[in-house]
Amino acid sequence: MAKYYDIDDIITDEEIVAVIFQKAASGVGIDPSSETDCVEVGSKVELPFWLAHELQQRQAVSMNIPTSFNQNTRLEIQADSACVDLRSRCPFFYEFGCKIAPLVGARNIGPLLLSAFKSRYKEVLTKAHTAAFTAASKNLTILTKEETNLYEAAQSSMAAFKKWRMGGPRFQKASILGRKRKSTE
Amino acid sequence: MYCLPVPTNSRSFRFKFTIYAQHGSMRDTSGRFEERSSLLTIKMQEEGLDVQTTRNADHYGALTHHLSLVRNKCCLMAYVYNRAETIRSLIWKVGPVLPQEIQEKLSHTEEDYFKKHAGTLQSYMSRLDLDLTVDMVPLKDPYIQVRVLDNFGVVLSDDKTTNFAQHSMHFFKRTDAEQFISRGLMEELTS
Repeated sequence: MAKYYDIDDIITDEEIVAVIFQKAASGVGIDPSSETDCVEVGSKVELPFWLAHELQQRQAVSMNIPTSFNQNTRLEIQADSACVDLRSRCPFFYEFGCKIAPLVGARNIGPLLLSAFKSRYKEVLTKAHTAAFTAASKNLTILTKEETNLYEAAQSSMAAFKKWRMGGPRFQKASILGRKRKSTE
Repeated sequence: MYCLPVPTNSRSFRFKFTIYAQHGSMRDTSGRFEERSSLLTIKMQEEGLDVQTTRNADHYGALTHHLSLVRNKCCLMAYVYNRAETIRSLIWKVGPVLPQEIQEKLSHTEEDYFKKHAGTLQSYMSRLDLDLTVDMVPLKDPYIQVRVLDNFGVVLSDDKTTNFAQHSMHFFKRTDAEQFISRGLMEELTS
């Protein structure tokens, strides 16, 4: 319940999972391939995680492993995890993997996440501390949200350290002002 | 879809509102969706089935609609909650008076919330006889040198009345200057 208000958690729950319906459901327009608005038993549908999770608890569906964690990704991570583009697969790779691991019944997701994170974390930190601000932009596009947070935290701590060394002005205009945004209505 | 522009980083909020729109298309849009789950329950009752325990197709349809509604509620609650958190932090960053560019982005209830929160903080600080919103950065020197960026005339401060012409430089007491700097009206000079 502590995650009810957490926006990152809500967006993580929106990830798509392929499920197979064990029971029929009528009156829902979820399945795009059926003509009526009923879902038949045994039909394969793509649902967001929050819906699939609830329905699985009530034994209406059974979840398959999502495509982000399939054999291809596993092989790529074992080959060289620092170059794998995780953001295009799943921007919340680690959080989503943690949620889905107990539900799908595949016991190798956990070690996969761990090994991927260990090797990528080293890369993230070294790049953040040593690279100039614009140099590592190619590397940033393949990081997941969690890794991007780490990267930005490391960069901001380096910037704060440099500023402290040089002794600039310590009072600043509040960062919330001065951002011109067009209203989106 | 009514969407307030947000004074903070609104990238994640915009993403969530596209998700909200996608929910609408996922559901059967031939009827108003909030009636669908009740329609299905009524249909089950007419067929003489026990609504609580039967698990037929209608039950799962009603369940899906109900879960969608609960999910929408969760998204909206989280949005409002996070906005309220941002508004609370505004008092500490900008002060009890909001500049116009932020003021126009808040709804009426949010402005009300801000005023009440600022009022509560003020009464607490006056009870303690201590201003908590100054000295956010640790002290080095009780006086600092500032340059005025905007022209805002004569200002009454603790011990003197100063005329703030634009680009004039003053030697000012830290606690007073801090609120002007955070609003962007002055800048600190480091020699």
